[in-house]
Amino acid sequence: MKDKKVVVLSIIIVAAVLTTLFFYLKSAGDIELNEILLVGIVLVLVALAMYIVWDRLKNVQKGLPAKDERLININYKAGYYAFIAAIWSAVFTPVLFDILFRYEPKGGDVAAIVVMVSGFVFVISYLYLARKGN
Amino acid sequence: MKTRIKELRARYNLTQEDLAKKVGVRRETILFIEKGNYNPSLQLAHDIAKALQTTIDELFIFEDE
Repeated sequence: MKDKKVVVLSIIIVAAVLTTLFFYLKSAGDIELNEILLVGIVLVLVALAMYIVWDRLKNVQKGLPAKDERLININYKAGYYAFIAAIWSAVFTPVLFDILFRYEPKGGDVAAIVVMVSGFVFVISYLYLARKGN
Repeated sequence: MKTRIKELRARYNLTQEDLAKKVGVRRETILFIEKGNYNPSLQLAHDIAKALQTTIDELFIFEDE
């Protein structure tokens, strides 16, 4: 029952986020770099949330638990890799921008890149570990 | 680490899904344990052994590296 509630709640949240994003993009005029990055972050998170919801729904329908000890371990591992990626991207983003574009990014741009990189690393690690087993 | 889960499942005519339901984990977890790709916690190992009416010692084959 608890698993079903979590799945329903997740679907509602995903729908709410997508609706908000749609109205935001519709009303926004010229979009800046950090806004594009923020939209990218939201889309990555929504895609992951949708995959997780679909995966959980599949298991709940079969009478199996939505998550178990293996999945919890995978979450911890993926979170650890995302944390490391966040630290390194925070260090190297300004350096790389300087070398490649001769441009010093704003704090907001760096923050957006850090969140996006760690989000991507989390998604990729999660999917890889889920397929590998551990 | 090798396991005898597949062999014992066959003996009791259980599918991976049946065993997963019995011990309260996802089917993929049983699959990865059978393949030796995931080392279960002691609690889960105990639950699987109990479900297959055996002991942890008999279920898991530990090999020296």
